[in-house]
Amino acid sequence: MIETKRPPQNVRKEIIPLVSGGTELALHRWQPEKPAKGAVFYFHGLQSHAGWLWEVGPRFADNDVALYVLDRRGSGVSQGERHEIPDVETVVADYVHALTEVRRRIGETVPLTLFGHCLGGSFLAALLHHESFRVPYQAVVYCSTWLGRLHALLGEEERAALAAEDSAELWDAGLKSEDFTDDPLYRRFIDEDDLALRRITRRSRATLLGLEELYLAPRRTLPEVPSAFVSGLTDPIVDLDATHRVFGELTADRGMILKFPTPKHYLFYTDVRDDLVDWTSTHTLLQGVDRDG
Amino acid sequence: MDRPDWQEHWKARRTPFAEECRQARAELLADLKDPQTAQRRVLEDVIALCADSLYWKENGYDRIAADPGTFRDILPLTRYGDFERQIDRETRTKGGVLSCSPVLRWLKTSGTTGVPKRVPYTLHWLLTYRIPAMAAMWGTYLEHHPELLDHPHATLDTQTVREAVTDQLYGVQYQAISNRYPQLNSRDWNPPWGEAPWFGTRAPASHEGRMYHRIRQLLGEDLHFISAINPSTLISLRDLVAAHGPALVRDLREGTLEGEPFGAPDPEGAERLAAVLAREEFSLKDIWPSLSLYSCWLSSSAGLYQAKLDEVLPGVAKMPFMSCGTEGVTTIPVDDSLDSQPLAVGQAFFEFVPAEVPLGSLIEAGEKVDTLLFDEVEPGRDYHLIMTQGNGLFRLWSGDIYRVDRIVDGTPWIHFVHRDGVFHSFTGEKITEAQVTQAIREGTAAHGIDTSLYMCGPNWAEPPHYVVVSEVPLPDPELDHTLSSAVDRQLMEINLEYASKRTSGRLGALEFYTVPKDAINAYNEARRHPANPTQHKYKPFQKDVGFLADIVGR
Repeated sequence: MIETKRPPQNVRKEIIPLVSGGTELALHRWQPEKPAKGAVFYFHGLQSHAGWLWEVGPRFADNDVALYVLDRRGSGVSQGERHEIPDVETVVADYVHALTEVRRRIGETVPLTLFGHCLGGSFLAALLHHESFRVPYQAVVYCSTWLGRLHALLGEEERAALAAEDSAELWDAGLKSEDFTDDPLYRRFIDEDDLALRRITRRSRATLLGLEELYLAPRRTLPEVPSAFVSGLTDPIVDLDATHRVFGELTADRGMILKFPTPKHYLFYTDVRDDLVDWTSTHTLLQGVDRDG
Repeated sequence: MDRPDWQEHWKARRTPFAEECRQARAELLADLKDPQTAQRRVLEDVIALCADSLYWKENGYDRIAADPGTFRDILPLTRYGDFERQIDRETRTKGGVLSCSPVLRWLKTSGTTGVPKRVPYTLHWLLTYRIPAMAAMWGTYLEHHPELLDHPHATLDTQTVREAVTDQLYGVQYQAISNRYPQLNSRDWNPPWGEAPWFGTRAPASHEGRMYHRIRQLLGEDLHFISAINPSTLISLRDLVAAHGPALVRDLREGTLEGEPFGAPDPEGAERLAAVLAREEFSLKDIWPSLSLYSCWLSSSAGLYQAKLDEVLPGVAKMPFMSCGTEGVTTIPVDDSLDSQPLAVGQAFFEFVPAEVPLGSLIEAGEKVDTLLFDEVEPGRDYHLIMTQGNGLFRLWSGDIYRVDRIVDGTPWIHFVHRDGVFHSFTGEKITEAQVTQAIREGTAAHGIDTSLYMCGPNWAEPPHYVVVSEVPLPDPELDHTLSSAVDRQLMEINLEYASKRTSGRLGALEFYTVPKDAINAYNEARRHPANPTQHKYKPFQKDVGFLADIVGR
């Protein structure tokens, strides 16, 4: 468990190049000084990338928890076409590759939490339900994710049209930094971040729809691990009631719902950042306790 | 009356701080007795830190990890500019490009081209190098002058400040190294006076405003120690007492700070202060008779301030500040020697090249240059300094020339001589030839005049300032006046330190004199040395303003 009587650690930050399907992806890792007692794999959302987590990563690592973040193909400092989310199989294959590498690095006994933020939560849910994903994990956290968003907002005909979309025309997600945080310094960063993605091709949205289908019509049973949904008290981007319903269906109503005291979307750029990291750390580490030993 | 919160902090931090400083000093002294081990440790640390970085892996530098002896063979000598592309990447990733440590903030410092540098301030660098260096220096101060921790008002520390930061690089704060705000973790720099009202974010950000608060809040207290980096800060402190004398007397008498309620009225103290200020040549010792120590840079050109410091701080003991820059620490004082300090062998991996080697142009040309290690330098000789720091900036040509004074227990004792290619710096502003040339070019272009030959020198007046003489088609006293302002303004835009010192009044305005075409050329030609005419060079930077009388007739 966490040592509480020690000074701050000299944690490391590395970028591990991973070649997936011929494309070099960047797997970022914040690592404690000694071998990690737990690990969190973070699925970033549409706009962000690992470079947004410069305060989050060191705190996880200081809690003895390694944080891994894959810059998705075409995002952050990974290679790949910008503004383009490839087909479902490629997206899933990249994550399977990255998580296999993470499990190899942390070993079999270290508890691993899969943490999806915003759209990253939808990627996470899709991955869990994909038959190719076999990496053991011990907990799942969805954070400010609108699970099944496209299915909630689009009618059947609209979804059919979207599924057939093959246009490279860019679609603006309409993301506004004021929805993410009140803090002017973070807002300035979001607005000025030249690695942030705010537009994707229309055909990329068809992939997002395909990913949702993987978990809205699940074809396999998931391992019983603790699942949680965390968000602010309200969220300017996410319909919390709608996503809670989907979360309940995914977890057979056995998941935990937590709300942190902020009305903003990007919890890590609000006052609840450290609380969220600390809660996730303890939630992760506790999965490593040997109850039968 | 309850003790103010900042004094509770002082009380809580006093003993741990003293112990941290004592420990850091003990480790420094151990390193100085076994410099070989210290240098090997630093080298191994840097390799362990960087071998998995993107930059090392992409260039094959990571093979050094298998054989540390190849460090100098594989890595090139570098200038700051050689890292800029990697720094651009690192601003986005905040770690993992140059070194495998999280970047906590970016340090801003004036670049030779006028564009501020971005030095990565990583967690590893903070914990392993920068904070221990500070602690070791204060350990030396405490060893020699324990009275600086006698009580909460015993020390006035102007080396560092805590000021709110608004500048950022992709979300990460971008600030001067002297600004220690916010405290990054409990191992970050945290002196007992860290919460004192004159030290923190509540004090005004301007030099003069902050100085006034420092003075007012310490008036009537048994102040023992004033710590500064530049001697000009100490001179300025005395000048500001004089300049704001009536306001200080009034605030003291009425128990106010800039008119606002502050403490108990002290009419007797106000009377004593007024009596001191009535004497034109009062010193800081007159203001604070308890003063027993001051510290600042005192070697090289800073030593030229010594006479003035003796006037301002008569009979007060002095200790030196470390020799350092934003890029890293070079020496740390272990005693009160003013002329020389030991190479901080635990702070960086150091290499040297004889000063007579034109290192800048060789690096520019990409030529291989053999370097010397700390145990190969000779007393009495000057060297270029090359540092590999634990923030990923490896084999960095500092541009500084150091003289080796002596070798003690195998460790060189050295002092800063000058910037390579830079003539002078009154008070740390490090004006380069390139900066002055740029300032003149831009300042004169605005008035339709093309840049021509010029000479620039330091005038040790009060306040000190720079004098420039430049050839123009039609010299004119009115033009002198116009260009003085224009070039001064440009230089402030180009060099942040110059601007800071101009704004705070520590440097006076630049004086610009126009002279006819060929006047400088003729002056220069007349001084061509007959023994070595081929090597004779026109040097825009001059050691003094002796040229002024010869060329301008002043």
